[in-house]
Amino acid sequence: MADSNTLFREGFVDADGFRIRYWEAGSGPPLVHLHGAGGPRLTAAHDFLSRSFRVVAFEMPGFGEQENQRSSSIQDLARTMASAAETMSLGRFNLMGTSFGGKVGCWLAVLSPELVISLVLEAPAAIRPDGSQPVSGTPGDIARRLYAHPELMPPMPPADPVLAARRLALVTRLRGPGRDPALEDCLRALDIPALVLFGTRDAVVPPDMGRIYEELMPDAHLVFVYDAGHAIAAERPEAFAEVVGDFLERNDAFVISRNRTVLMP
Amino acid sequence: MKVSYFETGRYQAPPSLPAEWPMPSGAYDPGEGARVYQGMVDRIGYAEKLGFDWVSLSEHHYSPRILTPSPAVAAAYIAARVPNIKIALLGPIVSHSNPIRIAEELAMVDTLSGGRLIAGLLRGTSNEALTYDLNPQESRERTDEGMELILKAWTEPRPFGWQGRHFRYRTVSVWPRPMQQPMPPTYALGTSREAGDFAARNHIGLGVSYGPFDVMGKATGHYRAECARHGWEPGPDQIIFRANILLAETDAEAQRALEASPARAPFSLGTKVAEALLEVDTRNIAGEARAASINRALPINFVGGPETVIKQIRSCREQTGAGIIDLGFNTPGTTDPGALMGALDLFASKVLPRIRDI
Repeated sequence: MADSNTLFREGFVDADGFRIRYWEAGSGPPLVHLHGAGGPRLTAAHDFLSRSFRVVAFEMPGFGEQENQRSSSIQDLARTMASAAETMSLGRFNLMGTSFGGKVGCWLAVLSPELVISLVLEAPAAIRPDGSQPVSGTPGDIARRLYAHPELMPPMPPADPVLAARRLALVTRLRGPGRDPALEDCLRALDIPALVLFGTRDAVVPPDMGRIYEELMPDAHLVFVYDAGHAIAAERPEAFAEVVGDFLERNDAFVISRNRTVLMP
Repeated sequence: MKVSYFETGRYQAPPSLPAEWPMPSGAYDPGEGARVYQGMVDRIGYAEKLGFDWVSLSEHHYSPRILTPSPAVAAAYIAARVPNIKIALLGPIVSHSNPIRIAEELAMVDTLSGGRLIAGLLRGTSNEALTYDLNPQESRERTDEGMELILKAWTEPRPFGWQGRHFRYRTVSVWPRPMQQPMPPTYALGTSREAGDFAARNHIGLGVSYGPFDVMGKATGHYRAECARHGWEPGPDQIIFRANILLAETDAEAQRALEASPARAPFSLGTKVAEALLEVDTRNIAGEARAASINRALPINFVGGPETVIKQIRSCREQTGAGIIDLGFNTPGTTDPGALMGALDLFASKVLPRIRDI
């Protein structure tokens, strides 16, 4: 589950009747990460972000060894994750959601806006075209869906077929419709700075979905990460962490460049 | 077959000038430069009257050979003075420039010309990398990224940021957008596997140039195969073949002119720079490696009297699938504008009416 020699330490928190696993590194303002449908995954981007943030990457209930028949809806799962963050005494935190976790993150921000400083959505699956399917299949199939350049990535570890089937069933049960008017109405009223990222080569959720968030949410920025597929942080970790870190630090003011072009002072 | 006239904006350099690139800019004669630009309108207006479909312009630097370092500026001037012909920028060198600026300038030209822009996006020949201090080893990937960003800037309706490898923008939202919606007819220019892949993936055209028909056919074949893989089929208007033409009344006359043409390109690079550049600039045709073309005179694909040239154009269409030929009429080694107008006349009267059905 880790792409790099990570500094992350494993821990557990009991919240909402679940024993929830997490990985944590760094210090600074808290940054909570909710993973995608394939389960938790630490990338080099987590390492980069942990230099400036206290990064807490949760394993949502049902995505690890434990089954989760209890979460009755994606809102329910979002409440559980808010409860986990509160139990850890994180206070207000930045929230980053990946794909399916992006939809959980949207609901968490909508249901508990007082907890969320800023929202980062990595290839979010909260708005999907008709017929969109979660990623499944052999490790090779999954790599071809997730990456723009699977040939440049380390091979996907073989997944336990029982766990993979269980995760897929859970996502299918909870993910809801491609367009959810109730959620979209709430996003229109969401007064939280948001950054929405899509890889230009995303083959799971079309990057064109990005503009819908930008249009709906009053304080959202859309950024395309060039030549990345769906798993942006895994495929272009430096690019991902640079813009996410800058946005979390400065919000709207991140449009002002601090890039130095002096070659020879 | 559609036909484009390649306007090179050729400056009449006196023979006393040194012939090595870069030409000393102190040797530039402002009066002659002004004549070049004014003459562009005469030549292009003439090509329009003769029935040419497009005029094409290109970007070159630091030499009198082609005096259009900013093709968008030339295009704006032509747009205001020549009323109907399509104006093809083949093209802005994407690797050189700020891609957002290119997107904005091309949108301006399209609008100023009443929707007559044809956009070709180009990596640029090896020597051009020397002008703006660009590492030739990065030019391929800068071009790929820049092209994608230009298309995005034209078509994305909401403000967006771009987190690239070579380009980074926190917010992009260009005004004006192109007059032709969603975008002008657009081509990736090049024979490489990367150019073909990009064009196929983005449903745009491909422009190839100067090589033998069978070799260029490999590049267009790769492009068409990739288009099929992406679920679409390009039409003949989506393949451009740029070439030099040496048309005369008879084959023998054309052959004599050909034999008199120089083997070395005008205003070549010094040998040491050329050799060093060859080492760092990699090129390919549909994935097969080839050396960059540096200092060699460009070949002339169409040579002969009208009958022979018509046969060659037919063969070009058969082997490359091109539905548009973009023709450089300047007889190599000569800079006589009268000869150019004569060649245009001859082409329009003896060749053009007989290639429309090819």
